[in-house]
Formats: sequence, C-alpha cells, structure tokens
Amino acid sequence: ENFFSEFQMEGVSAENNAIYLELTSENLSRALKTAQNARALKVKLTNKHFPCLTVSIELLSVSSSSRIVTHDIPVKVIPRKLWKDLQEPTVPDSDVSIYLPVLKTMKSIVEKMRNLSNHLIIEANLSGDLNLKIETELVCVTTHFKDLGNPPLASEDASQDRDPEQMAEVRIDIRKLLQFLAGQQVNPTRAVCNIVSNKLVHFDLLHEDVSLQYFIPA
Amino acid sequence: MICFSSWTGLKALGGQDPFLSCSLLCPHGVFGKAIQALSRISDELWLDPSEKGLALRSVNSCRSAYGCVLFSPLFFQHYQWSTSVKVNENDSKTSNLNCKLGMKSILPIFRCLNSLERNVENCRIFTRSDQCKVVIQFFCRHGIRRTHNVCFQESQPLQVIFEKSMCSNTLVIQPRVLAEAVVLFTSSQEEVTLAVTPLSVCLKSSSDEPMDLTNSVYSEMFVGPEEFDFFQIGVDTEITFCFKELKGMLTFSEATHAPIAIHFDFPGKPMALSIDDMLLEANFILATLADEPSRASSQQSLCLSQKQKRSDPMCSPNNNSKTGKNVTSKAPGCILRKTAPKRLYPNETQTDIPVLENCGSPIRKRVNGGDISEVPESSVSDTEETPGSSYLRKFSCMFFGAVSSDQQEHFNHPFDSLATASDTEEDMNNGRSSTF
Repeated sequence: ENFFSEFQMEGVSAENNAIYLELTSENLSRALKTAQNARALKVKLTNKHFPCLTVSIELLSVSSSSRIVTHDIPVKVIPRKLWKDLQEPTVPDSDVSIYLPVLKTMKSIVEKMRNLSNHLIIEANLSGDLNLKIETELVCVTTHFKDLGNPPLASEDASQDRDPEQMAEVRIDIRKLLQFLAGQQVNPTRAVCNIVSNKLVHFDLLHEDVSLQYFIPA
Repeated sequence: MICFSSWTGLKALGGQDPFLSCSLLCPHGVFGKAIQALSRISDELWLDPSEKGLALRSVNSCRSAYGCVLFSPLFFQHYQWSTSVKVNENDSKTSNLNCKLGMKSILPIFRCLNSLERNVENCRIFTRSDQCKVVIQFFCRHGIRRTHNVCFQESQPLQVIFEKSMCSNTLVIQPRVLAEAVVLFTSSQEEVTLAVTPLSVCLKSSSDEPMDLTNSVYSEMFVGPEEFDFFQIGVDTEITFCFKELKGMLTFSEATHAPIAIHFDFPGKPMALSIDDMLLEANFILATLADEPSRASSQQSLCLSQKQKRSDPMCSPNNNSKTGKNVTSKAPGCILRKTAPKRLYPNETQTDIPVLENCGSPIRKRVNGGDISEVPESSVSDTEETPGSSYLRKFSCMFFGAVSSDQQEHFNHPFDSLATASDTEEDMNNGRSSTF
C-alpha cells in the first residue's frame, strides 16, 4: 500500500478481501508503455458493459498542456471457488539460498547459452558460488560466479548440517529463465535465488516496496 | 509486370509523345517515403506529370482511400515533361503520360535505398509513353550507376475533388503529436475515431462489432486545442476512418517535417489529411464511416438510394450515406476556386473550362453537410452515358466524383466519371474536370 499514493479496494467480502482478475498481460503492458513519461497514472476496476481495468494516464506534453489517455482493458473476474487454484504454491525449504549476481550480466550470459541448449543447470552453494551450466553432446559451458554471498538462513538446523561447499543443483528450461530475466529492467534492492535440489528454483526479488517471486520447476 | 499499351483511338498527327524526365537528389528521403505512404493505400501507383510538377497518385480498390503527392518542379534538380497534342479533324486533344506502375515493382527500388543512403547521389526518372517502361537510374558514388526498368500500364489517373476550404473543421498539427497518439493503438486496430468539440479533440479506438470489445483494449487520448497549430471546429463531430491509412500518411509526414492539416466535416463525408510545403503538396483523402443505422446495407442499395435522393433536388439536409457524394454536388465553379492544385482531367481541353463555369452559375447551397439543393442546368450537350457505367454504379465507390461537364448526367450517375478513366474515345469526349 505504501507503493501507491492512493489505494482503495473492496474485495468480495470482509473475510475474503481480495479480487482476482484475469487479463491478457500484453494488453496491460502496452497500455502502461504509453505511460512512460506520465505525470499521473490511475488504475480502476470498472464495468463498461463488462469488467475492465481502466488505466487513466495524464501525460504532460511539450507545450505544457496535459493530455489524458485512457485504456480500458477487458478483464475477467475470477470467482471465489477458483481462487485456491491460484494460491502461491507451498514450497519445500530450499537447500541453498544465494544472492544473485547483477541481473543484466546474468541475462546476457543466459541469452548466449540459449543458442546452444534448451536446458540450463543452476547450481549454488552456501559459500557464495553460483554456476550456470549447459551440457550438450558437443560442448559444455559453465559460467562461474563467486563471492556472491548468502542470505542468513531461516532454519539453523539446515545450515549446520550442510557442507558449505556442496552444490545444490536444478535443471530448468532455459527459456523460462530468460523470460524472467528479460522482464527485469532495474536492479532490485535484493535478489535471492533459492534452490530445492532437482526440484525447483525460486527467485525472490525485492524492489523497494514491491516483491516479485518467480518459481521455475525442474 | 504486364507491359500494356491501349489503343486510344486517336492517332497522333505530329507532336511528340508525352514524356517525363526528372532528376532528384536524395531519392530515399521524401520521395521514397511518399511512395511508401502511397503503397499503404494500394498496389498501384500513377506517375502523373504536369506543369505543376510530378504527381504520384494511388487509389485503393474499394475507392475508400486516395493519396496524391505532388512534387513541384522546384523539388527536382531537373524537371521536364510534355504532353502530346493529337490533332484530329476539328478537335485537338492533349494526352498526358498515363503511367500506372505496380507498387510491387517500384516500392522495393526506393525502399532498399535506406541501406544505401550514403552512396546514392542522384536519381533520374525518365519515361515516354511510346516506350512502355519507366527508367529509374541511381547514380552512386564511385561511378556506380544502377538502372531499373519498370514496365507500366497505360491508364488514366483517377482524381478526386475535395474542397478542403469548405470543411467546417480544420486542425493543423505537428506530426510528432499525432505520432504520439498513434502509438496508443495496436497495429491490429482497424479503425479509429476522431471526436472533436470546440474544447477538445479525442482520438479513440473504434470497433464495428460489439463482440470485439470483450477481447480488445479500448484506448482514447484527449488533446487540448493548444497543441494544434491551427484549430477551427465549426461543428462537433465524430468521424471514423481507417487506421492503416493514417499511419501511412504519418510516416511520410515525419519525413517532411511539415505540419499535417486535417479537414473534415460530419461522418460519411470524406476527410482530407494534407501537407502543404514549398516543394510538395500531399493529400490523402479517406472515406469516413457514416452514421447509418444499418451498416450492412449492400453497396448496391446504397447507390440506389443515393440515386433517389439525388433525383430530388430538395433532398433532406442529413444525407446519411457512406459515399460523401455531397462533395460532388458542388458547382463546378466552386471547384475551380479551390485552393488545392487544380488539375483538369488529361483529356479535357482548354475549351471546356468556360463551359463548366457556365454550369456553375446557379450555385448549390452548401449547407453544413453539403446537401444538394439545386442542380443547375447543364449547358453541355454531351449526355452520352458511357458503356461500363451501370456496373460501376454498383461498385463500392465511396466518395469519388470527378465532376463531369454534363451536370444532368452526373446528377444521376455520380460515379461515372471515376469509372470512366479509360482510354476509349467516347470517354475522352465527356469532358471531365477534377482537381487533385
């Protein structure tokens, strides 16, 4: 709520004070692109014959007069009975948790690797080492990142049992990783990668007041 | 490309063939962009030289969009052209270069220049109507010369009459502002609506079928009057037109750096987007959607009902047709006063002009909307109806009308003139006057 200068919402009911909407993300992203140099932006859930997310943008033009741009993006309101399908998945505790390197660097490396293979192995340990590996019949390429640092672990038991040099690895679809990296424009305040061996990688980013979590299964 | 020359029925007796020879610097600049903009309208391009300069024209197949870019002789390093004068008994007709090129042939020539910008120093365009090709030569650095021969079809260019100064609403805007508005819409957006009041201008997406709305984003942008270089709104209105054609024109205008003037009235009447600068004059005339209750009415019925209305000189003020033929109801006299470059139809001789002026004297009242109030009696005797006109009436010609010298005939069959841009002798005898 601190992120917005104004925030008002009323959910389905007092106990279920949430609204679940489904929309085509491209529509929203394009609408927001026009707001790049906006003076003000307002998003409202409206009903114009059917539910819409109305994005109102106030742009300041060169001649210092303002222009109002409005986009009505059609959305579907998801009924409460389907909400459970969209809950955040429960994730087993991660084996290794490590801070990510500069995302831009990571992105350019993964982009190059994409040409060689469809799958990528991420491995990391508790000593601040992270490796990105691809293995094909012809070639193996590994990029090593060192001294990244590890966030303090939640459960102390796990950290004591685990050898800090031991790598936890997970093999994921490289395109999904690229999708995640491509979306990152600004360096986050905090970026953590959690690996559940051979099962899942979980990226947890914090940009000031906004948190983004991205789960990619093996 | 078919190489095609039609028999005109008139043999040249002395006089040379119509020809064009011009050369220009920077063919990839404004000239190339003009061709690109016109390629958005149609697959065919007319090269039409005259004393006013070289006009490039394009009309789309359903006659709902027309583009003409007229490059004045000053634009060229060298500009030379001529018509042929064919003398036949007591008559003499001038015949112009009637050169129609396929966009597929000519567009790549100018488009690939973008990569060779620095190398091309000069471009020369040359053609004669007895050859059936246009020769385009690029003189590049290091003595390299590229020659393209493009065959053309002989075909009289279609032209459009549109009295820009008679439009109630005129806006002049910098292309940059319009470009900023245009990014709001997806490329799949077919039509956009321009809604104006004296206080604001709004460009918004529009959609025919209600079904579309649930899937597509509706966008609108309000722009205040102060952002326009010129703002004159006589009547509050909302007009809807094809987005693709607007974009084509916009890209061209950005190359010219000149402001765009938008002239329009009420829905159904065509709108004009024009650029007027020292070296060129561009006009893009687009049909607009009419406020009809049933848009599904067939073209034929449109034309017929139009015909009925037309037969009644005292027709109702609100002429709700998609055709915007109101434009053609103007007295020829008015047309001759137009600010746009007036250009008589190629086969019209000088003698026709006074005739038209006579026709023009009982002035049609141009009420806001251009309804027809009176039809002056034509003093031209030629009432011959051209053979192909009946089927052409049913054609979906949205808004064209070149005024014929025969008012009566024109009154009943407003589309004949555009239809009859053919090479038969009879057509040539029907003097046609037009403008753009």
